[in-house]
Amino acid sequence: MHFQLDEDHRMIQDLVRKFVDENLKPLEPKVLERDAAGEGAYLTEDEKAAIDARSQELGLWGLDAPEDVGGSDLPFVAMIGVNIEIGKTCTPYYIPPDSPNLRMLMATVNDDQRERYLAPYVQGGTISAIGISEPGAGADPAAMTTRAIRDGDDWVINGRKIWISRAPQADFTILMAVTDKEKGARGGMSAFLVDKGTPGFNITRKIPMIGGQATYEIALEDCRVPHANLLGEEGKGFAPMQVRLSTRRMQMASWCIGAAMRALDMMLDYAPQRSTFGAPLSERQTVQNWIADAYTRIRAATLMTYETAWKLDNNMDVRTDISMIKAYATEMAYDILDNAMQLYGAMGMTKELPLHLMQSHIRTQRIYDGPTEIHNWVVARNLLGLKR
Amino acid sequence: MKVLVPVKRVIDYNVRPRVKADQTGVDLANVKMAMNPFCEIAVEEAVRMKEKGIVEEIILVSIGPQQAQETIRVGLAMGGDRGILVKTDDTVEPLAVAKILKAIVEAEGPGLVITGKQAIDDDANQTGQMLAALLDWPQGAFASAVEKDGDTLKVTREVDGGLQTVALQTPAVVTTDLRLNEPRFASLPNIMKAKKKPIEEKTPADYGVDTANRLSVVKVTEPPKREAGEKVEDVDALIAKLKAAGAI
Repeated sequence: MHFQLDEDHRMIQDLVRKFVDENLKPLEPKVLERDAAGEGAYLTEDEKAAIDARSQELGLWGLDAPEDVGGSDLPFVAMIGVNIEIGKTCTPYYIPPDSPNLRMLMATVNDDQRERYLAPYVQGGTISAIGISEPGAGADPAAMTTRAIRDGDDWVINGRKIWISRAPQADFTILMAVTDKEKGARGGMSAFLVDKGTPGFNITRKIPMIGGQATYEIALEDCRVPHANLLGEEGKGFAPMQVRLSTRRMQMASWCIGAAMRALDMMLDYAPQRSTFGAPLSERQTVQNWIADAYTRIRAATLMTYETAWKLDNNMDVRTDISMIKAYATEMAYDILDNAMQLYGAMGMTKELPLHLMQSHIRTQRIYDGPTEIHNWVVARNLLGLKR
Repeated sequence: MKVLVPVKRVIDYNVRPRVKADQTGVDLANVKMAMNPFCEIAVEEAVRMKEKGIVEEIILVSIGPQQAQETIRVGLAMGGDRGILVKTDDTVEPLAVAKILKAIVEAEGPGLVITGKQAIDDDANQTGQMLAALLDWPQGAFASAVEKDGDTLKVTREVDGGLQTVALQTPAVVTTDLRLNEPRFASLPNIMKAKKKPIEEKTPADYGVDTANRLSVVKVTEPPKREAGEKVEDVDALIAKLKAAGAI
C-alpha cells in the first residue's frame, strides 16, 4: 500500500495549481465586485474566452475524456487533485468539458451520437446542460412525471424541469423523461439529447440562487425529439444518470477539499497577525481547535475521496462511498469556511474576501446532487440492508 | 551545441520556511519541494535557445536524493531532452557540486552551462562561478539577457549601479538572474512526453568527487521579528522622533 499519486498526476496537479494562481485567483476581486453589486458571480465573455484559451494551451481540456475523441483519458484519482485546485478559488470556472455529462455521454452514446455530440463536446465546442429535477421530484428522481411518448420516428416530450444550470447557454440538454410509467425508475426512464432551440423546449424562468448563481425552469410542451437522439437504450436512462451523479459528487468532494484548504491557509495566515487583549489569535485555544479540526477533517475527506476514486478506477462498487464523501466533504468545508469567517471577524463578513462566496457555493452543494440527509440515509440503508 | 542545465530541488517558494527547534537547519519534513526558481529560468533560457535553433540538446543534471528525479522530470516537461541524477543523501556544498558538474561537462562536452545564480535554500551564489573557474571558462553571472552572436555570447549582467554587457567566447558558464525570462508552465502533453525521456542515475563517486563537507553549520535562526512602526502626525513630529532616536 502506498499513499502517493503517480509522478505525472502530481505534475498535472501542480500545473492546475499554477493555472489557478495565475489565471483564476487574479479575477476574484472582479467576481466579488459583481456579486456585491447584485449582478451575480460571473466572468465576462472576454474573461472566459481568455481563460479558456489559456487552459486549452496548457493541454487541460478533456482531461478525463477518451483519447479517440481528443481527450487525455485520465483516471478518477488524477481528477481529484485537478478539482481540489479548482476548488481553491471563488472564480467560477470549470475546464471544458464539464465531467459529469461527459461521463454520462461516454457511457451511452452510439457511433452517430459519438460523432455528433461527444466529439465536439470533448473539443470544447459545445456547452451542455442536464434536466433531471422537477417541481416535486428532486432527490427522488424516480418520482419524475415528465413523459416521452413515441410517435413514428420521433418522441414527444411533455412536462416541467427545474433547477437547470446553463439552460439558455447549452447547445444541447440531456433530458430525462419517463417512457414507461409502469416500470418507473427500473426500466421506464430514458435520456434524450435535446438541441438548443427545439420547438416546445421553453425556458420559462431564471431563478436567482445564492452564491451569485442562477438556474432555470423549463416547460416541455409537445417537444418533438428525433429517435436518433434517444441517448442509450430506451428505458435504461437511470443507471447512466447515476454514473453522471457519481462523477459530480466526486468533483464536489474535491472542490470542497480545495475550498477548505484555502480557508485553512487563510486562517494560518491571519491567526498570528491579529492580536486581541494582548495575545495573537493563534494562541487562543478555540482558534487552535478550529485549525487542528480543519486539518484533520480535510485529511479525512481527502483520503476518503482518493480511496473512492481508486475504487471507481478499479471498477469496484462505490455507491456507499460516493454518498459518504459527498455528505462528509460538503459539510466539512461549510464548517471550516464558517470558522475562517469567524476568525476574520468583521473582515470575514465583507464581500471583499472570497470566504463568503466560497461558503455560499458550498451551501448550495449541501443540497445539489442530493442533500446531506439523503446521502446519510443511503449510507445507513446500505449498512442496515434496508430496501428503499 | 549541447547545453547543460543543473537543476536543484529546494523548498517550494510558496512555503513559509520554519527553523528546526534544535536550530540545525530548516525543517523539511512534510514540506512541499519544487525546482529552484532560478533553475527554472535557466531551463527556460535553454529551451528558448533550442527553439531558436542555437541549441540541439538540453541535458538536465540534479545532485540530490532520489526525489530530485522529480525536479529533473519537471525540467524535461518544460523542454529538456534527457537527465542525469547524481544521487546522494548528503548535503553537497557548492565546491563539490561544481566539481561534479566539471566532471559531467568533461564527459558530455556541452558548449554552454546555464545555472541559476543561486538556490533559494542556502542562497550561496557560488556554484556557477566556481564551475567557470574549475573549467577555466569565461562566465557571465546574473544574466538578464543572453544573445548568441557567432561564437560569442553577449550577456547583459545586472550589477550594482546598472547593466553591464560582456561578450563571452563559448564554451562558457552563464548564471541567470530573475529578469532573464518568465519560465513557462509544463503543459499536459509535455508532462506526458517527459515520462518517456531518459534519466541516467549516477553517484558522486562515479565522478571521483569527495563530497565530505568542509563547512559546518553552527546555528540557523529565524530573522529577527520586525517591530511595529509608529505613526506621527506631521513632518515636525517625524523630525523630532528621528532626532530623539539619534538618526539625524
